[in-house]
Amino acid sequence: MSLAAARLVVLLPAAAALGGLLLARRGAAPARWVAVGASLATVVVALAGLASVGGSQRTHLGQLLPALRAGDLEVPLLVRESATPALIALVVAIVAWAVQSFAGWYLRNDDRYAVFSATVSLFSAAMLLVVQSADLILTFVGWEVMGWCSYLLIGHWSRRASARRAALKAFLVTRFADVGFLLGVLALASGPGSTAYPKVLAHWAPAAAVCNDTAACAAPNGTLRTVAMVLLLIGVLGKSAQFPFHDWLPDAMEGPTPASALIHAATMVAAGTYVLSSLFSVFAATDAARWVLAISTAITMVWSALLAFGQSDLKRLLAYSTLSQVALMLSALAVAPALEGPGAGLLHLYAHAFFKALLFLLVGWLSVTVGGTAAATMRGGLRGHAVIRPAMFVGLLSLAGVPPLVGFVSKEYVIGAAESGALHGQARSMLVLAALLVTVVLTAAYCVRAWLVLDDLTAARPELHEKDEANSPVMAAVSVLGVLTVFGGLVVLTPWLPLDGHFSWWMALVSVLLIVGAGLAVRATVTQGDPAERLVGARMARFDAGFGVDALYVRAVARPVLALARFVVFLDREVVDAYVRGSAATALLSGRGGARIHRAERSSTSLVWVVVGLVLVAAAGVTLW
Amino acid sequence: MVILIALLVPAAVAVWLLGAGRHLAHQVVNRVALVAAAVTLSAVVASVVARPSIDRPWVPALDLRWQFAVDGISAPLLVMTAVLGLAVVAHSSRRRPEGGTSAAFHACLLLVVAGALGTFYARDAILFFVAFEVVLVPMWVLITRFGDAHRAEERADAGARFVLYTALGSTLMLVGILGLVSAAGTADLQVLARGAGSGIPRHTQLLIALALVSGLAVKVPLFPAHTWLPSAHTIAPTAGSVLLAAVLLKMGTYGLVRLPVATVPDAFGRLAPLVAVVGAVGILWGGLACLVERDLKRLIAYSSVAHMGFVALGLASGTRTGLQAALFANVAHGVVSALLFFVVGGLKERWGSADLAVARAALREVTPRLGFALVVGLAASLGLPGLAGFWGEFLSLYAVWSPAGDRPAGLLRATAVAGALGTVLAAAYALRVARIVWMGERVEPAIADSRGVEWVVVGGLVVAALVLGVLPQVLLSVTSDAVTALVGGGS
Repeated sequence: MSLAAARLVVLLPAAAALGGLLLARRGAAPARWVAVGASLATVVVALAGLASVGGSQRTHLGQLLPALRAGDLEVPLLVRESATPALIALVVAIVAWAVQSFAGWYLRNDDRYAVFSATVSLFSAAMLLVVQSADLILTFVGWEVMGWCSYLLIGHWSRRASARRAALKAFLVTRFADVGFLLGVLALASGPGSTAYPKVLAHWAPAAAVCNDTAACAAPNGTLRTVAMVLLLIGVLGKSAQFPFHDWLPDAMEGPTPASALIHAATMVAAGTYVLSSLFSVFAATDAARWVLAISTAITMVWSALLAFGQSDLKRLLAYSTLSQVALMLSALAVAPALEGPGAGLLHLYAHAFFKALLFLLVGWLSVTVGGTAAATMRGGLRGHAVIRPAMFVGLLSLAGVPPLVGFVSKEYVIGAAESGALHGQARSMLVLAALLVTVVLTAAYCVRAWLVLDDLTAARPELHEKDEANSPVMAAVSVLGVLTVFGGLVVLTPWLPLDGHFSWWMALVSVLLIVGAGLAVRATVTQGDPAERLVGARMARFDAGFGVDALYVRAVARPVLALARFVVFLDREVVDAYVRGSAATALLSGRGGARIHRAERSSTSLVWVVVGLVLVAAAGVTLW
Repeated sequence: MVILIALLVPAAVAVWLLGAGRHLAHQVVNRVALVAAAVTLSAVVASVVARPSIDRPWVPALDLRWQFAVDGISAPLLVMTAVLGLAVVAHSSRRRPEGGTSAAFHACLLLVVAGALGTFYARDAILFFVAFEVVLVPMWVLITRFGDAHRAEERADAGARFVLYTALGSTLMLVGILGLVSAAGTADLQVLARGAGSGIPRHTQLLIALALVSGLAVKVPLFPAHTWLPSAHTIAPTAGSVLLAAVLLKMGTYGLVRLPVATVPDAFGRLAPLVAVVGAVGILWGGLACLVERDLKRLIAYSSVAHMGFVALGLASGTRTGLQAALFANVAHGVVSALLFFVVGGLKERWGSADLAVARAALREVTPRLGFALVVGLAASLGLPGLAGFWGEFLSLYAVWSPAGDRPAGLLRATAVAGALGTVLAAAYALRVARIVWMGERVEPAIADSRGVEWVVVGGLVVAALVLGVLPQVLLSVTSDAVTALVGGGS
């Protein structure tokens, strides 16, 4: 039963994608029915799957497709079901349903809505494949298909040059990092000669999957394991938009808002956390990879929280907050003691999915009313709306990590993981803990800023909301996400997530104090209006440009590669091909020479070659006999 | 019997067209060729199902025999050749060829198909060579007579280059084949494969393998013997490009599997590092060239060089996985490159040139079908999972990452890294094309979207690319047993 659910949650949205594409010419209405209906059905199936496993963490395996006969490599194409995949699948399904419901309204006048909704279906199918997969190849398939769908979604409005560029950049940056992922998968699979997770884990993880001191964990193939995990991690950093690959994500805001909600909340950027936690017993034994992850996430969370504060566009503010929050999830995996497992990271993935999807949908909804997402345009936009205003309030509080919302609970588990590592004297845990506390302050600051801008009484235009024509699916999506944002934290009382970590009460107290202090400090800078204008001021343009990382990508990677390409073309024409032209010229010359000697018909060039060939044949015959 | 039908029907119809079809109208010729291609396809399918074999003496004095059979290695290629043969003929139904009579054009197409089928059916080394060479002349005619009408000089150059290059390659291959046959005392490929080079001195084996590999490398083509391909593709008519990419190149890789890999495996093993390096260089070289290439058809041709590099990597690994990967990548490239050349050839006909620097209407806006097919082709070309290109590339990279025991693992792993980087280059050039051609806001000058036969052909290839990507076992299980027989159970 549960395995049937595991297969169905993947196949249902995939079928919806295919159906949506075939119906694309029939207009928006059938496409909307297929997309929203299938996503709702997926939620139901995912719920049934979660109910049928009943909180058990025992993993069941089954085939998704018949196993492949690929010579020496065993490719069983397995899916799995246990409480954790079932829960994450449910989260993904809910967010996908919310996004489809919202997109049906948001893109109601878009001539390519049908293709958009089919792509969203495919995207969620790919993420659900990653979630349910128990086979490295299936994980990789889902991983890459997500990348491709993100390209299509970001470039949806392909009539705009900026969207074209953003789509290209997103795909190329993540694909470049995926070289690491691909090689990591190859290296992991080459050990046991199989791509099935149980075999991979048994081959690479130390016995009993428990190991506290690294000396005991040094397997004979320790170096290869380190190489494999670091390579895999590079891929994760790319897809999760972590330093130094982070700059594609803010540009991805060129896509329609529902696409942003999907990419940011529950799918692409969160997938890395999930994959690493599936391989946690191997990852936890690889100190080098954990160090790389700790450094990268520590940089990303502070850097992008800082950038978020100074954005002139509120959608980009949310994008940078995603970078920072995903860094939070991943940092839990970098520091969590092997015994505690990856639960804290997964819990934050779960929490972030709800409140970030909620925030994106609200910003998208509001932008329709006020006519844009720039901070100046949105100022005071919340005033007078009975749904968006309270929902936005809850969402921002959850992002800031205020108790008892879901964002608070998960963030405290992440801090708890870092704290227990730091108490053991782990240097990287201390680094991450310090970065986490700084991030808490900055997050509170930008959340307060966003609220002050959106709720600015002096710029209130309540009459705008009278024209609001959002339909009931939008209301339903926002309400469900809002309720889950408020009460989702209760999941820690269930056995669905492997939460062996702890919740540190005094760290919670410290972070609440930090949040309050930061909030009050930001509030104190201005009596009304945007605090960023006062604190960041004219430097906002530099914040908007992400401190010039994009230009760095162009200078350091794109231009050298293109120069190399031109050089290759030059070599191809002037060196490699020169031999060919030379031989053609020689053949012609000797042909003419032969013709002159014989005073006969001009021999064709190919005849000359036949003669040359005969000579070679004769020579070979002489040498071989 | 069915093998004979599959070989003789296209050949006979082609000869008849050449002799008597000069004055027939294009439509009539096309119908006749279509029927011939359809008969050929059904005969090929029947032969693949029934797996018959033919063995008759040909030149008893030289112990040459008409020896044809089908196995798991040749079956997918046979079907693909026959299907594409039908597809190119159908595709030409509304396109009167320029530069010569319609009869000659169709005769050339059918001869190429017949020769390719003969190559894949042949179980005798000499016969293999003969069939291999049959393809050369009709292809040359297609390029020089029926190629791009606006560029006479380049047509001659491309045709001459094609003939010179491949004749040189064939000569080297012939040297290898003759050496092999004389050293082993038989031309029977099955016997040669069973013997696997036993009884031939080591250095002779190496010489034979060297001659065979370098000869076939021209046809594949492997770096640095690839420069004939871009010019031939640019000039050739759409049907010619499709056959060139999807059928002729496959004869090269198929030859590599049949001849050096099967008959002198030890010597091929010694050359394998070289093959792997050449393949990896080809992947990067082709990918980089595509980043700045201005002509769309040349660009696709360079991407073929890159894709063939993956086949070389798979072969060089010496494992069953590698061989499976090479055979899969071979077929996948056939499907994907055929799709791309049909689309790009169609675009060139509509645009009048294939220059990417000219501003044109975005396909997504004006021709959604062609745009969709192009994007699917590009996605398959960059190795997107779920489409045909992925499995061959992934498995061949796996194979070189964990190669057979007698291969230098460090070097081959380096080629795996290069190959993985090549997939990024593939993404970069594929999306470069998508950004220039598919996306955009321009709607002028308007061009007609794909309809009728063209859309059936292109749509069918899109479906084929999808099926091979989602259900790779369809193909992998066909080749599996033959590969095990070739490499041996363990590896």
